[in-house]
Amino acid sequence: MLTPGRYFISGNIAVAEAALLAGCRFYSGYPITPSSEIMEHMAARMEKEGGVFIQTEDEISAIAAAIGAGMTGTKAMTATSGPGFSLMQENIGYAAMTETPVVIVDVMRGGPSTGQVTIVAQGDVMQARFGSHGDYENIVLAANSVQELVDLTIKAFNLSVIFRNPVILLSDAELARMIEKVEIPKNIEVYDFNQIKIPDVPEFKPLGNGHKLAITGLTHDERGYPITTDVNVHRRLVTRLVNKIKNNESMISDVEIINPDAKNIIVSYGISSRAAYPILKKRKDVGLFRPRTLWPFPESKAKDVFEDKNIITVEMNLRGYDLEVERVARKYGSKNFKHLKLIGGEVPTPKHILDALEVN
Amino acid sequence: MYPTINTDYCKGCNLCVEVCPKSVFILGKNLTHRGYYSPIVEYKEKCTNFKLNKGDKILCEICWLTCPEHAIEFV
Amino acid sequence: MEFFEFYRKDRWPHQFCPGCGLGTIMNGLYKAFNDLKMDINKTVFVSGIGCTGRVPGYINADSVHTTHGRPIAFATGIKLARPDLNVVVISGDGDLFAIGGNHIIHAARRNIDIKVIAVNNATYGLTGGQLAPTTPHNMVTTTSPYGNKEHPFALAELVAAAGANYVARWTTAHPNQLVNSIKTALTIPGFTFVEVVSQCPVNFGRRNKMSDPVYHLRWIKEHSIPLSKVTFDLKSPFDFMDINFKGIYTVGEFVKRDRPPYGKSIEYENNVLRPPKE
Repeated sequence: MLTPGRYFISGNIAVAEAALLAGCRFYSGYPITPSSEIMEHMAARMEKEGGVFIQTEDEISAIAAAIGAGMTGTKAMTATSGPGFSLMQENIGYAAMTETPVVIVDVMRGGPSTGQVTIVAQGDVMQARFGSHGDYENIVLAANSVQELVDLTIKAFNLSVIFRNPVILLSDAELARMIEKVEIPKNIEVYDFNQIKIPDVPEFKPLGNGHKLAITGLTHDERGYPITTDVNVHRRLVTRLVNKIKNNESMISDVEIINPDAKNIIVSYGISSRAAYPILKKRKDVGLFRPRTLWPFPESKAKDVFEDKNIITVEMNLRGYDLEVERVARKYGSKNFKHLKLIGGEVPTPKHILDALEVN
Repeated sequence: MYPTINTDYCKGCNLCVEVCPKSVFILGKNLTHRGYYSPIVEYKEKCTNFKLNKGDKILCEICWLTCPEHAIEFV
Repeated sequence: MEFFEFYRKDRWPHQFCPGCGLGTIMNGLYKAFNDLKMDINKTVFVSGIGCTGRVPGYINADSVHTTHGRPIAFATGIKLARPDLNVVVISGDGDLFAIGGNHIIHAARRNIDIKVIAVNNATYGLTGGQLAPTTPHNMVTTTSPYGNKEHPFALAELVAAAGANYVARWTTAHPNQLVNSIKTALTIPGFTFVEVVSQCPVNFGRRNKMSDPVYHLRWIKEHSIPLSKVTFDLKSPFDFMDINFKGIYTVGEFVKRDRPPYGKSIEYENNVLRPPKE
């Protein structure tokens, strides 16, 4: 495990090392570019830290094994990219229904389908929230630097254990291979199961300790017995699953806000947001709203920043976060929107954003 | 020792009649309180546990093993 | 251990049809655990979707009811994270071999230390009686109303070829042998597999003139042959592959190996890293 200090490592290695620091002792995965380095690093390091590593036969069994380990009270993780993330959706819904903590890292690449294997994109943003069927909520985090990959990986494990929910960390093909300075602090906040009590989140009981758990993906009552034909049982269960995330949004939300009083606000996340910083230094009439937690939408932090502003969203996809940003911003009086959508692997530059500002 | 059928659980599938090697059971003709035609223990003296009588030790329990509803009890 | 200490009394009577083979298997499972005096607090039962998948919900122990086809994948994660627990997978033929076919052959190949009880009723029972990869040739199901034009899988042979440590096939007409096989499967380390051919009178038997459970069980018993009486030869003409020899289920213990189960890659001995001892 990395001891506190300064290091110069790539994004994928940072995710793997941060997971070990957060207490992850189970990794199951399947090779897919550009996330394979996370798995390869875990193959070499996990057993040395006393954990378990297995490369499974497909992404479905990778997430299933991670959820199975999560049920025993072991912090588990898997990493994949677009095509594998689509395969995992059924079991991510299962983890949400059975309230099992698990962390999934999606290193986004060009899509749809096999797409652009080694090229950066941000097309999985809506899928991370709505990928599985039925009513449930995911917590989705997005990092924009290698240091942030370390911080958000640790935060992902903490949130998954506190809320007993799957947590998705969005990285991308650029961050995965980028090598940057990283500082591992002396004191890292790592939460254990049942350490923080949240109303609506029941106490976590692991398998194999004599609790006689009845875990099922069917609609169930408080004992875990399947009862599928009662309206009230289903309403109680699914409303609680959704509310435990939605009602605690202000506790989960983490947003970087610069120049909140500026008239023009750039809304971006991940690698696209790096284009905003040079502009903010020079122009005081431009601000930045950069969510580190994409879902649940950080509305508690958006209220003042979005009041009657010109909003520019910058992302690398065609169907993305702009829909939700526009919906929330209109509630607070904003009327001017410009959505920059760059696909194909062209990372946004300050010039893209400045050109958009001139047109206004 | 011989088997008895608990009509609270029996669903009248008649598998016990079929599998007993000594033909202890016969098909029932009357409805039970649950609405099934439960079999009847007609020849309890033919049951191996009765004939060879080893006290509490059960020698043959094919009917108990086969009954899907756990409706057979040895007395 | 009493019967209703092993099974949850507040969920009895169970939901299975009259004459269903699952009831017999539940009795056999209880007898095997009771005779071996196994601690069910140290056992986790994992199942998939289907009638057989509902069985662990009735057991008074930790039970995990997973998504369709994936119990083996979940069981792998549970076993590797807690190697001290006994992990038993109880699931159906469609769940384990159709949608989950990939997982079971890899688990057998890796020899993961899990015990699998596969209930083969030749159909998809819970959803109404559709065609399954184990439906015999020419039989009628809701999705093969003119007769099945496919030939079935030989499940036990498949798992034996993949490398499992113990493979056996019995039917619900052989309850005593079944209990003994389950006991052997629970005690041998590594990947162990017991296939149970079972009757499904309501959704399979009824469409093939066997709606009475007695006739269905009789059909299964008449179509079983002990392994000692057949010779399995891959070079035989195609007829021989039709449920293992002209429409007959071969019953018996196929394989008993002692391959080491899936374990760690490295071990620390006196603080020195070395490969684990074989």
